Amino acid sequence: MNDETKKQINKRYEQELDKGERFWPDSIFRDVVVSLGIFLLLILLASFVGVPFEPKADPSDTSYIPRPEWYFLFLFKFLALYGQLPLIGKIEWLATVLIPTIAIGALTLIPFIEKSPNRYYSKRVLPISFMSVMVVGIVLLTIMSEVPTVTEDGSKLLGTLQTVVGIFIPLLAYILLFVFKKNNRLMIWTASLAAVFMILVSGTVMALAPEKAVEEVEVPATLVDQITAGQDLYAVNCTECHGDDGSVAVIEGVEGLEGEKITPINSRDVLYTITDSAMAEVIAYGRPNAGMPPFGKTYGGELTRSEIDYINIFIRYMWDDRFEAPEIKPLFPPLAEGEVPSYDVHIQPIVKRYCISCHRAGKDNNDFLMTSYDEILTTGDNVEHNVVAGDENSYLLQVIQQHAIMNPDNPGEEMIGVMPPTKALKPDIVDAFTRWIMNGMPQTAEDAAALSGAQP
Amino acid sequence: MWKNLYTWLDERFGLDDMYKNLLDRPEPKTSWWNTLGSASLFLFVLQGLTGIFLTVYYTPSPDHAYDSIQYIMEGVAFGWLIRGIHHWGATLMVLVVFIHMLRVFYTASFKYPRELTWLIGIGLFLATLGMGFTGYLLPWNQKSFWATTVGTQIAGTVPLIGDFILKALRGGPDLSALTLQRFFSAHIWMIPAVLAALIGIHLFLIIKHGESHWPKKED
Ligand code: HEC
Ligand code: HEC
Ligand code: HEM
Repeated sequence: MNDETKKQINKRYEQELDKGERFWPDSIFRDVVVSLGIFLLLILLASFVGVPFEPKADPSDTSYIPRPEWYFLFLFKFLALYGQLPLIGKIEWLATVLIPTIAIGALTLIPFIEKSPNRYYSKRVLPISFMSVMVVGIVLLTIMSEVPTVTEDGSKLLGTLQTVVGIFIPLLAYILLFVFKKNNRLMIWTASLAAVFMILVSGTVMALAPEKAVEEVEVPATLVDQITAGQDLYAVNCTECHGDDGSVAVIEGVEGLEGEKITPINSRDVLYTITDSAMAEVIAYGRPNAGMPPFGKTYGGELTRSEIDYINIFIRYMWDDRFEAPEIKPLFPPLAEGEVPSYDVHIQPIVKRYCISCHRAGKDNNDFLMTSYDEILTTGDNVEHNVVAGDENSYLLQVIQQHAIMNPDNPGEEMIGVMPPTKALKPDIVDAFTRWIMNGMPQTAEDAAALSGAQP
Repeated sequence: MWKNLYTWLDERFGLDDMYKNLLDRPEPKTSWWNTLGSASLFLFVLQGLTGIFLTVYYTPSPDHAYDSIQYIMEGVAFGWLIRGIHHWGATLMVLVVFIHMLRVFYTASFKYPRELTWLIGIGLFLATLGMGFTGYLLPWNQKSFWATTVGTQIAGTVPLIGDFILKALRGGPDLSALTLQRFFSAHIWMIPAVLAALIGIHLFLIIKHGESHWPKKED
């Protein structure tokens, strides 16, 4: 740029200044308005949208689908699409390093690439078109970032369409823009058509995209929720050996550990000496030599870091007398006189806490599974006696009331021990089971309500 | 009395000169689009303030990071508000800086004599993204952990020195306490220092050259 042009530019600027305004108070007024607006918006977002809750990091959970912060999503999508291209798709660093470097490099050097002193739009159609196609592409890739490139039926249609939006149309547009470099009208047409096509194709992609199975990962956010979650996890994983309140000192009813003496884990000996992080390790790694299996994903179990933390929180708040437990909802709503309990509202939570730890697949339980309504009614070696509508001699009712069932062929031999083997259920739970079976095992709350009404 | 005080201060500080040079500057007619730069500045300052509050409770260790954030959200009075503003402020700042850059591009404000302003601006843009990237790991939740895992993996694909970059970012072959520690350090010391210095130069250049005028037919 020669001095003559520079002088001209500076003269133009002086002219504009003469017609202009003052920084204070004219421009700064608008600045303040916008900043205040942003501040308000942020307060609203923080108050009404909040920060989405996420479970704690779990390095062992490799099944987690990683997603970057939203403003990197387009890059992520671009890499995925690029990886699908034949041949060059295999050369990873082209897309991860070379292309971004070129893009950022070009962005940086814009003042030196676009050397003409012209500033008016119609004198800069090429750079403006170029940038616009790029920006439209970035926005569309961000919008499509959720859509998979290969759908479940193995079809690559969506992936191909996305590649058309993210790579082919822009590439074609760039080439055409350079071809039409001299002709403003053709350049504007090229950029506009490219943008329209990109929007149309990505619209199609969004329309065809499989309904996203909204993975309802219900994450317990409040302390009470976490304690309850921990209690349920504890019930499923730990009760069989440690009992529902951690008080078991001699294990019963567990294959291979029958009669094993352990320290009750609700005792001060354990709670005061094992810190939270040590406790998390005990649960994750187990005590394989002493008979406690590993539970953490890292060691082949099935609990994530957060789940182990919830168990920990439950143990602390419920058993450790240095912690004050918040008000916890009862396991099931107490039953009124003559009210019939239902599976959904009453029996399921009870079973989940007291029985499922043993009565699920892969455990020693006479094949009596209790993870669903149907299983409770249709499984078990003694299925025809376990749960019989209106029969107070149903095996289930017998065993939870401390009457073991003897083998009919050999009355001296115990066929089914008392349930749960280690500790009798509280009377209100026995009562709920009894009312449920005596009234024909209603599944839903409505069914149960209808039966309650029929009671004299 | 106030007048005397003002004169006294003016004699040492040069308040009048400051007013003339910083505030009472002539400007071409500007538009609402020209507020985006100061909005970026506002967001930077806001992020700084809320961030400082967060460091009071935040602990950068894998054992405690998550719980300390949890505590900020539930245990600390208005912690949720501070974190909420910082969280959404980060998103908004990237957006606002990006749009600010686009407006500078579309109005060709990066041309003579403002080329250097643009170059510094690119530094600001990258540093802002860097803030986002490093800040994202700090809550140490599933999302942040795995996003950073892939993010650093991508850096690891650089030919020849990729492995070195990967290990330098992570402080070892895997994400660990070291990674969290250095991301934290980058997020609260290194990148903000760079940002602050660059913003200083950026603003100096803007005051020196004045805001560019909206391009007209004759430009
Ligand atoms: C298959 C039986 C079994 C299951 C299931 C089981 N444990 Fe254990 N657990 C044991 C045995 C046996 C020991 C005793 C180890 C010892 O004495 O060193 C033990 C020890 C412990 C200890 C350490 C006590 C001490 O004295 O140091 C804790 C804490 C513990 N278990 C918690 C749990 C939790 C929480 C769960 C559920 C996630 C669980 N356990 C599930 C068998 C089991
Ligand atoms: C510690 C593990 C454990 C727990 C907890 C447990 N059971 Fe059992 N259950 C068993 C075992 C083992 C058997 C097999 C018979 C035996 O060995 O006594 C069994 C058998 C049964 C049977 C007989 C099934 C058949 O078809 O023969 C019933 C009914 C039963 N349990 C009900 C319950 C109920 C109801 C609960 C919850 C309140 C419960 N159990 C909790 C271990 C358990
Ligand atoms: C933290 C980020 C940033 C801050 C705080 C910031 C701040 C500002 C401010 C206050 C202005 C004057 C008001 C305005 O024109 O909006 C400005 C102008 C400018 N900015 Fe930025 N900016 C940032 C990022 C960027 C980026 C990413 C670029 C481009 C790559 C850039 C390039 C420019 C240019 C060239 C001007 C002069 C515009 C003109 O004179 O019309 N800035 N910036």
